[in-house]
Amino acid sequence: MRNRSSLILLLVALTGCASQATVQTHYWPPETPAADNAADLEKAMAMSSVSAADQGKDAKSAGQAPTVEAPRLTLADAPSIETYDPWGRFNRGVYRFNTRFDEAIFLPVANGYRRLPLPVRTGVHNFFANLREIPSVINYTLQGRLGRGANSLGRLVINSTVGIGGLFDVAKHLNMIRAPTGFGTTLAKWGMHPGAYLVIPILGPSTLREGVGYAADYGAAYGINVANLYRGAQSWGLGTLNAVDVRANTSFRYYSSGSPFEYETIRFLYVRKLLIEDAGLHKQVAPVAQTADDPAGK
Amino acid sequence: MPALTPPPAPGPATGLADLSALRATVFGTMPQDRAPLPELVPLMEMDVDLPWKRPLPDVLWFDKRLRVWFSAQKHPAPLAIVISGTGSDGNTSKLSTLRAALYGAGYHVLTMPSPTNPGFIASASSTGVAGDLLQDGADLYAAMQVIIAHLPAKVRVTDIDILGYSLGGANAAVVKSLDADQQKLHIHRALMINPPVSLFASVGGLDKLYAITLGNGDEGVERFYQKLYVQLANLYRASDRSELDEDFLLGAAATVLRTQEEFSTAIALTFRLALVNLFFAGDLYAGTGVVVDPRHPPKVGDSLAETARILRGKPFSEYFTRVFAPYYLQRRPNSTEASLIAQNRLDVIGDALRNNPDYYVQTNSDDLILDTSELAWLKDTLGTRIKVYDHGGHLGNLGDKEQIPDMLDMLGGRWPGSAP
Repeated sequence: MRNRSSLILLLVALTGCASQATVQTHYWPPETPAADNAADLEKAMAMSSVSAADQGKDAKSAGQAPTVEAPRLTLADAPSIETYDPWGRFNRGVYRFNTRFDEAIFLPVANGYRRLPLPVRTGVHNFFANLREIPSVINYTLQGRLGRGANSLGRLVINSTVGIGGLFDVAKHLNMIRAPTGFGTTLAKWGMHPGAYLVIPILGPSTLREGVGYAADYGAAYGINVANLYRGAQSWGLGTLNAVDVRANTSFRYYSSGSPFEYETIRFLYVRKLLIEDAGLHKQVAPVAQTADDPAGK
Repeated sequence: MPALTPPPAPGPATGLADLSALRATVFGTMPQDRAPLPELVPLMEMDVDLPWKRPLPDVLWFDKRLRVWFSAQKHPAPLAIVISGTGSDGNTSKLSTLRAALYGAGYHVLTMPSPTNPGFIASASSTGVAGDLLQDGADLYAAMQVIIAHLPAKVRVTDIDILGYSLGGANAAVVKSLDADQQKLHIHRALMINPPVSLFASVGGLDKLYAITLGNGDEGVERFYQKLYVQLANLYRASDRSELDEDFLLGAAATVLRTQEEFSTAIALTFRLALVNLFFAGDLYAGTGVVVDPRHPPKVGDSLAETARILRGKPFSEYFTRVFAPYYLQRRPNSTEASLIAQNRLDVIGDALRNNPDYYVQTNSDDLILDTSELAWLKDTLGTRIKVYDHGGHLGNLGDKEQIPDMLDMLGGRWPGSAP
């Protein structure tokens, strides 16, 4: 335990100091422009075929009796442009800590990790994604979305067995697409608003509801403790590897904008994304109208 | 301030422009039109501590070092220095495209932020008040000398070319002209991609576009936000997705942005948000007190939401009259507002552009930031060394199958009429 604490202290100390040389250099994994262009092209083709299919669907349904649809949101449903952030000072402090931690430790480690061969990284990614199916099954059930729950359960079973402990995403090829959910979304489905904006150390932007969601999902995983992965000495190594995998698959860089308003911008975008996803959970009932005076996320 | 609103000229710059020009400007080059790029491009980040920077204000604590990006060839090769557009950092997707094309053609590539990027202002500007073509050029030129002196020892540079897109194009040309006098780097060729001719006229045009589409002040932003939010939320509800991700946004953008007005609003707002950073930094460094109280500057942990809201409502003309002009008039005796504006036209290096065969331009006949007379001036000044494409709006053809090979021919001395 003492070793662990001193390691953490050392890491935190590291975030505070950096070399004073005129130029600091960091090597990044090489860019892959040809592959990126090919991926964009594939995406564009897929998108145009989807939108052509949508147009066909519209034309077809125009000839039929109108189907019952969720009521469309109107301008009055748009949440305020302001964001509810009563813990702003604390959050900004954590945002700053996260920036330093990311620059000094998290990002360099993730970049080192990105030099491992792709199949290795994909295996690691699939392994953790497979573990995430457990809270997904629980939460889809709690949300009453049993079809999606069955999808997650099917993925868990297939990938844990045929996919050799989750290292391969076999279910994807059976058209069972990964769609994780968590307790934060369950609370949203039950009608809870996102709550106050909250920046969590290392994890980053969140809200009170989503923070509770993370904790509950982790608690459930810890309680179930599949294959004893969540307790004992190996849990630290696995937890770290999980975090590095997540970071290596996230392209965000703190303050790459250089802008003093980045905290405000990220807060705005994060909470709007969450609110739109919430609106997607409540298709069947009329949304609660908010007045413009009501800050978003309250 | 009459000098900032030049007599109306025909052409875009910039009311509601042609729909295809606007669409290209917003969406950029479509994947099927892109020039082929190499498989792998190595990438190194360089964070540079420059001795002449101003004392770092508390709220810009993260901008201590200038961040630039370098891709090294393994063998001796020419170096291409690429400068970003207004407000942008040194690793934008446009820079990434240019980097890949140049690296694939055998260059070492150094990409740099715009001198109007807040990171540059804090870490590399000698004034903190950005937007002056000659001052920004001098700061860029000085920073380049430090960076090139600190390239990895095994990197062998045989020649240096410089280019930039949008405002970065004008910056690149000015740096080359400074180098022609000072001879520190011996820059060979300079290429401007979609440059402005009169900085303040182009910016004034974008202010006008903002006023047309969003009105004055911040209320228009709130209305636009509500409209966009509701459209996205309805699209999302109609979809079967469980997460609002990048793919969804990409598909949604084509539905949400359709009309001339919607495209114009997006362009005007994007520009305004870049201006917010520039305005804030300028006001902070110059101590002009428009939004930052010089005696009580904001500290780490203070909310800047209200400051951002106020600044969103302020046009460039206000930055000019309340921050830029007061700062530079005090430091440049004998100058006037009119002379400051005149110094921010490409004609300050007009003779070099006309007579030196090493300057090149790529632009579009429907570029929103040029009016007809400015485009005519460019054509007349550059002669055979300008290529004007029919379509693309502002940077909407950057990276396509025509622009990239032409760019490489211009920089490589293979363009008709090139000097060796």
